[in-house]
Amino acid sequence: MSFLELNNVRKTFGQTDAVRAFNLQVERGEFVSFLGPSGCGKTTTLRMIAGFELPTSGAIVINGDDVTYKPPQKRNTGMVFQSYALFPNMTVGDNIGFGLKIAGEPKSAIQKRVDEMLAIIKMEKFGARYPYQLSGGQQQRVALARAIAIRPQVLLLDEPLSALDAKIRVSLRQEIRAIQQKLGITTIYVTHDQEEALSLSDRVVVMNDGRIEQVGTPFEIYNFPTTEFAAQFVGTLNTIQATVRDAARGALIVANQEITTSQKLDGLRNGDAHSIAIRPERVSFAADGKKPNVLNVRIENITFLGSIVRVQVSAGENIFYMDTFNNPFLSLPKIGDHAEVTFSKEAVLVLKNK
Amino acid sequence: MQTTTTLPAPSAPRARAFSFAWLGVVPFFLFAILFLILPSGILLIGSVQNARGEFTLENFGGLFQESIANSYILSLQLSVTTAVVGGIFGFLLAYAAILGGLPRSVRTTLLTFSGVASNFAGVPLAFAFIATLGRLGFVTVLLKDLLGFDLNQTGFSVFGFLSLTLTYIYFQFPLMVLIIAPALDGLKKEWREAAENLGASAWQYWRIVAFPVLLPSILGTMILLFSNAFGAVATAYALTGGNFPLATILIFRQIRGEVLGNPGLGYAVAVGMVIIMGGSLAIYYFLQRKTERWLKQ
Repeated sequence: MSFLELNNVRKTFGQTDAVRAFNLQVERGEFVSFLGPSGCGKTTTLRMIAGFELPTSGAIVINGDDVTYKPPQKRNTGMVFQSYALFPNMTVGDNIGFGLKIAGEPKSAIQKRVDEMLAIIKMEKFGARYPYQLSGGQQQRVALARAIAIRPQVLLLDEPLSALDAKIRVSLRQEIRAIQQKLGITTIYVTHDQEEALSLSDRVVVMNDGRIEQVGTPFEIYNFPTTEFAAQFVGTLNTIQATVRDAARGALIVANQEITTSQKLDGLRNGDAHSIAIRPERVSFAADGKKPNVLNVRIENITFLGSIVRVQVSAGENIFYMDTFNNPFLSLPKIGDHAEVTFSKEAVLVLKNK
Repeated sequence: MQTTTTLPAPSAPRARAFSFAWLGVVPFFLFAILFLILPSGILLIGSVQNARGEFTLENFGGLFQESIANSYILSLQLSVTTAVVGGIFGFLLAYAAILGGLPRSVRTTLLTFSGVASNFAGVPLAFAFIATLGRLGFVTVLLKDLLGFDLNQTGFSVFGFLSLTLTYIYFQFPLMVLIIAPALDGLKKEWREAAENLGASAWQYWRIVAFPVLLPSILGTMILLFSNAFGAVATAYALTGGNFPLATILIFRQIRGEVLGNPGLGYAVAVGMVIIMGGSLAIYYFLQRKTERWLKQ
């Protein structure tokens, strides 16, 4: 039995299905992210685990205990909110010790735990400050310390970095991951930021319209998306219109040129129109020599993105991107030039739609 | 060929253009000078002068005369009572309408009523109370006719302290509702959820988080209510015919030359009130600052 289980959990608000038939097993100490656009049901699912929302049907089990209808106070989960939600009338130390005070722990034990937590978040000298005297990043670290001070069974983070600027976000997410690994807390992390989800998680749950699109490791989610939504939502993806030439061989036609995939085109017949997808970084300019897939393209645009240069190309009606690492000696064709681009059979994703 | 580039000479700092926006605030400053600063100055100067225009502190010594000290005490009693009772009543009403889960229309209705009632003071309010609870008031007669209960036999009089307190509360509690409503709105849902998540009951959340957060606002608003009552004169004068010796009525009658016969003493009474009001507002300002600081992100 897994440490945290969501069994066929469903939540409706009036006539709207916010979460549909949600099934997930999370192992002890695992870091799982719910990734999806706004309104996909990820926060609602998190709030059901915390006990702030009751499921319309289904069950939530933590460490073998069915908590589906237990109030938040009885679940022993620690929650970190997007808006920090620090109590403004209390010092940092009092905020961190709040849960322990409520639990009736002795003052000396509370102080010891608060000191431990301050050390973990590297804010030993901030215990006497008030939240308004802290930056956003510091406030969120305090919120994290407050949530883990009570030694929760499950740590729940609801878009904790959304309100912070980009640099702080990156450093804080590394801190969150380090603390989680050090303490071994089972963690659910809600985000709409794919980079956050991919960099932090043991597994990612891609959600759309209240249901799970795909569950997998960051590597699987990025490299082997199983649905068009998962492929489109995670990373940049080129969608190319093709016609099936030989389904058994995995051959298709794009702009009168043949390309092949590494898989058979099951369920498709020769002559069918079908979309395929390729990540921009899997496409490169064709050097001399025989390549499995080569397309003649026209250079439409070139965009400098810092470490990466994104080249927009067209093949017939299809317009797609290719990414190449920047270097000072990079030689690129000019806009309007014709060139050959190549990609492997494995780079061609044949998506199924749920 | 060598070419030189001539940089443009740094332009002289331009004089800041006159903003016509200043014209918009001229009436405010004029009003403040004519009806606040100038009279305050006259009061202050008058309070330290005798009838011959010589400097003296005797007028302030006169504040400790029994009749004047009593009028201050009565004003303070009335103001504190109506501020506390009106404040608590208004807070409970606002809480019920805003956080009590009642329909949105209740909140809108209460806030609209409060906006009107908080300004319903003076002669119309006094008349409304006399017409309602006077010897032949509507409610008095109704109680007697329907229930056989004679309000007049209980010793209740619309001209006494209790009646005046009730009348003041009528415009005090709506003011509390209007001012405390945004503070209640400012209580974040996440604070409650965070407290619950950390094991707190609803009572613990209110005792340890919500009430302490609201306390500066509640106290600050009560101080405003105190000032509101302390400076009020028309309602008390209209209701009691000037026979209820509040400090404001004393000043009012002094202006009309009915009592004291000493303008300097009258000025000193007024300055005493200004000092009490100023102190109240300073505390209000301090409490507001504390709340704002807490709530800033």
